[in-house]
Amino acid sequence: MSQPAAQEYQIECQMTSEPAALERLCQVVRVRGFEVTDVSASLRQAQWHIALTVRSSRSVEMLRKQLEKLHTVERVVAGATATVARRSA
Amino acid sequence: MNGAQHILEAFQRHQIDTVFGYPGGCIMPLYDALVDSVGVEHVLCRHEQGCALAADGYARASGRLGVCIATSGPGATNLITGVANAHRDSVPMLVITGQVPSALIGTDAFQETDVLGMALGIVKHSYLVTQADDLPAIMEEAITLAQSGRPGPVWVDIPKDLLLSEVSAGLPAVSQPATPEAIDISAALDLLRSARRPLLYSGGGVSLANAEASFRRFADASGLPAVVTLKGIGNHRKTDPNHLGMLGMHGSRAANEAVEACDLLFIVGARLDDRATGNLTGFAPKAKVIHLDADNAEIDKLRTADVALGGDLAALLDRFTDAMTAHPLDITPWREQCQRGRTTKSFQSADNEEALAPISGPAFVRQLSRIAPDNAVIACDVGQHQMWVAQHYQFDHPRHHLTSGGLGTMGYGMPAAIGAQFACPGQTVINVSGDGSFMMNAQELATIRRYNLPVKLIILDNQCLGMVRQQQELFYGNRESQIDLDDNPDFVAMARAFDIPALHIERTDQIRRGIETILAYDGPMLLHVAIAREENVWPIVKPGASNQDMLDENQQRQEKTNSKETAA
Repeated sequence: MSQPAAQEYQIECQMTSEPAALERLCQVVRVRGFEVTDVSASLRQAQWHIALTVRSSRSVEMLRKQLEKLHTVERVVAGATATVARRSA
Repeated sequence: MNGAQHILEAFQRHQIDTVFGYPGGCIMPLYDALVDSVGVEHVLCRHEQGCALAADGYARASGRLGVCIATSGPGATNLITGVANAHRDSVPMLVITGQVPSALIGTDAFQETDVLGMALGIVKHSYLVTQADDLPAIMEEAITLAQSGRPGPVWVDIPKDLLLSEVSAGLPAVSQPATPEAIDISAALDLLRSARRPLLYSGGGVSLANAEASFRRFADASGLPAVVTLKGIGNHRKTDPNHLGMLGMHGSRAANEAVEACDLLFIVGARLDDRATGNLTGFAPKAKVIHLDADNAEIDKLRTADVALGGDLAALLDRFTDAMTAHPLDITPWREQCQRGRTTKSFQSADNEEALAPISGPAFVRQLSRIAPDNAVIACDVGQHQMWVAQHYQFDHPRHHLTSGGLGTMGYGMPAAIGAQFACPGQTVINVSGDGSFMMNAQELATIRRYNLPVKLIILDNQCLGMVRQQQELFYGNRESQIDLDDNPDFVAMARAFDIPALHIERTDQIRRGIETILAYDGPMLLHVAIAREENVWPIVKPGASNQDMLDENQQRQEKTNSKETAA
């Protein structure tokens, strides 16, 4: 069966600071079939602000929903790299 | 009040009166507090995996929160399989573990493991408590979270020093469930009314949402032909004429053919698991999809929904029922076609009339179904016997069927039966197991004896790992590999060693007497049932194949004959 071509996406995420917060996020990204190619994260007022670039042949909307399910995730925006880049500019 | 006492306080506030656990070093402050506690029964299992699986069985049978407790290190790691089992089947569970003292975390201390890190992928959420004053709020949040929305296990890991610390924070308010929002169902109704061959497809989400009664009202009012997943077994009344049985890898031909033919799938609380759908490209190829699920992440995950509705399933189903009652569906030809399929293509198993014949697994399960009380709880293990129960036992409620659906945990059945018996002390609880599965948590015989639980234990013993043997026969050129269990212990003697009476049967004419004897006995009893090694579960869909390509016994026999003729 042929796989759709892998695409790159950018994810912006805001989550409450707690033990293993970043691991929890990265674990979901990995297990749902995405490879992290770039990451930056900063902790401000007990909130993590995380920007991930990820790559996969799977639907980024599926990943967004899975991340949104995490109890400490406050907000997730996901999209093709260019789209999110424009939004954050 | 110290941290340990606060945990017990949280149990009391949430009417948690039964917990399953095993003590050890870092959780000792909680066990010390238990000595003075009132209203919490602690059930001492013989292995932490047994604790977690018993908590799972307790939760599934009752609809209440299951609670398990263990110490750090091996105590916590032994819980992992049971917690993963609950996670995969969305069972509400609270897991409490002791951790090494805060100052020792990260020093490779005795019985230290990074439980938070290890459990990330198998919990709905988890906490490592870092300050004693956080504990009351964390307990409140954990208990609420485990049971809300799509339920699941929530793990609270507490360093020993914090269990002993005085907590100065006040008690948090008890969380109240949110009021469900009204959702527009008109688009779904339009699709349903325009369909000529609509099919109701339900799963474990129905009982997880406590929506059993609403579901049955909807099934009756709509008259939709219906299929269920493994975890949806019992959603329909036994007598529902539109119910075609379980679909999927070991589903009925009637169910799988209805899925193939339908033009609309009305999915309620099911996640389109690969064991149910087979190869997705061949699954309900002509159907539009209406998907009702409490978990938004299940929508469009594997199959795009034309209309998706989230939120409270019972409230949603009630609205569909009102609409169906006001304007019934006109699908009589399709309904009759499916009912004919139910008659001619449901699970087949002729009861062997020969008194001296060896016992057939399906025939045994059918007899059990006829003899056991309607409200009996059946806790299965994993393998061929699990599928025979799913196919041939007539369940009248989803909470009467405890089965490890997502994870497929061998060894689930006996601890789950223990949990179910604590949850439902007045009901008959039966563990139907295989010889492979039984040995995976056989130590829990001691728990049954200790609490004198009247659990009935049935082992369908084919002296091998039957499901693996079957797949090796059918899909690996009959090359058997590591499936022989012909050196099993004497299970009757083994039960008796735990002071549990037991008997052995091996012929068809002994089935009824054997079942009646264990059911009539006032206490735990084991029935060892010798069955044929070569018996297979039919039908079967090859893993990865489409449900349309299901094999049944006659086809297989024909194939064997043809290949012999070719070879000759």
